[in-house]
Amino acid sequence: MSDLNKLYKQQVLAHNKNPKNYGEPDHWSHHAEGLNAICGDQVHVYLTIVDDTIQTAHFAGDSCAISMASASMMTELISNKTIFEALHLFASFKQLMSAEGLPNAEQVLGPVACLVSVKKFPSRIKSALLCWYAMNAAINGQATATTE
Amino acid sequence: MLREAFPCLHQQVNGKPLVYFDNAATAMRPQVVIDAVNDYYCHHNANIHRGVHCLSGRATDLYEQARGSLARLINAPSPDNLIFVRGCTEGVNLVAQTFVKERLQPGDEILISHLEHHSNIVPWQIVCQQTGAKLKIIPMNDQGELVLDNLDQLMTERTKFMSVVHVSNALGTINPVKELVQKAHAKNIPVLIDGAQATPHLKVDVQDIGCDFYTVSGHKMYGPTGSGVLYGKAAHLDAMPPYHGGGEMISKVTFEESIYNKVPAKFEAGTPNIAGGIGLGTAAEFIMEVGIEQIGAREADLRQYTEQALNGIEGLRIFGTAKHKSPVFSFNIDGIHPHDIGTIIDHYGVAIRTGHHCTMPIFQFFDVPGSCRASLAFYNTEQEVDILVESLNQAKAMFS
Repeated sequence: MSDLNKLYKQQVLAHNKNPKNYGEPDHWSHHAEGLNAICGDQVHVYLTIVDDTIQTAHFAGDSCAISMASASMMTELISNKTIFEALHLFASFKQLMSAEGLPNAEQVLGPVACLVSVKKFPSRIKSALLCWYAMNAAINGQATATTE
Repeated sequence: MLREAFPCLHQQVNGKPLVYFDNAATAMRPQVVIDAVNDYYCHHNANIHRGVHCLSGRATDLYEQARGSLARLINAPSPDNLIFVRGCTEGVNLVAQTFVKERLQPGDEILISHLEHHSNIVPWQIVCQQTGAKLKIIPMNDQGELVLDNLDQLMTERTKFMSVVHVSNALGTINPVKELVQKAHAKNIPVLIDGAQATPHLKVDVQDIGCDFYTVSGHKMYGPTGSGVLYGKAAHLDAMPPYHGGGEMISKVTFEESIYNKVPAKFEAGTPNIAGGIGLGTAAEFIMEVGIEQIGAREADLRQYTEQALNGIEGLRIFGTAKHKSPVFSFNIDGIHPHDIGTIIDHYGVAIRTGHHCTMPIFQFFDVPGSCRASLAFYNTEQEVDILVESLNQAKAMFS
């Protein structure tokens, strides 16, 4: 399989076409906008946090397939996780995307680990990371985040 | 063939022959320009205007010859009408701070258009913040052409300056700059024309256009990056205060005061980009030798071919369909984000730009976050356009 086909693998294309947890929910407690103005990626992350647990996670916005798929998979992964666990997953995902890499990525990140193929396209890493930074900003009470 | 003159075109990327369609971001340089830069460093390396030794004399001559070449390219009355700058951005900022700022009172107006690059918006916003003046915008229509019907209402007695792009970098629209200058001058409004995307494609005659200032970008017209010139009418340049203080721009300095050098040295503080200036002069000579009419005719054919080819792709929408335009195509394809298209077609060797192209207001008008932009030059070919179309079809297939 070529690097391009690994980047746009079926999981990514499927999440892009039919994203999970997409759209602004009626109720949420935490929100932040991730915006990469230069490349045109925008991801709003909406969290409902009760007693330190993320009960629901949603996202909305207009983004490239990598950013959409990443956000879709992230919202599935962090739902019903504690804030501590979500922030730990954020750290793990950043490590996966870094030169260092993440051992046992599938064990730690589940399906999200498939985004490791983005690393072959350095200009796209910021697209994959945007929703995670927006999630982190929402938890910390910040309105916006960017990875540019 | 002229394509052979551009060495960087002849390579493979991702295992495919390079198709370079990002000329509006920066053009390729012909070998003669690369040689001129190399020749300066290898044989004439010296500072200019200040040494008595042989090399300094040679370097000064080459630099001033370059100014002369650029003056001929845009038909300036004299080389002294041209100030070497880093590019159009610096040219616009220079005019904003040294010519326009002192003319502004709170409530005065500066007129720009909806088609401007950020570099012809932000310097005016800064000067507005400094003075309390306001920006007014000439609107555009769905084709990406300026709407001039209400120009008389937009040009009021408070309008102190107008700055308009000659050719839009995002849509390719060629604006009727001569008509705009005539209308502005009828109301005593001085005008700057941003020519970044014009000199590589069109015959530019600053005396015929009649503008007060005109900016030229080196790297868009096959010259080195970080080079450019600002054209100004002599009376304006003589009256304007310096932009930067330093060496070269003075004729005498004491601790009490400094006496400024004459134009253009007054605006050229510090050791300039000598190699860049020499390379830019060579690029101007290259354009004149090839002939801007030939370049224009070749690009008109390419534009027509590309337009037809892109219109044949289902779900593709072109932004900017002005009657008069350069070979620039902004487009989106239904259901695929521009960023993904850029990555996929790069895999097939095709280099385009994706995003807002430093013209966010244009894409706010079209209500999209950005576009794909294929910008062609005379050295591109119909076969390359076919490769673009094939790679776009591959992207569509992948996302179907």
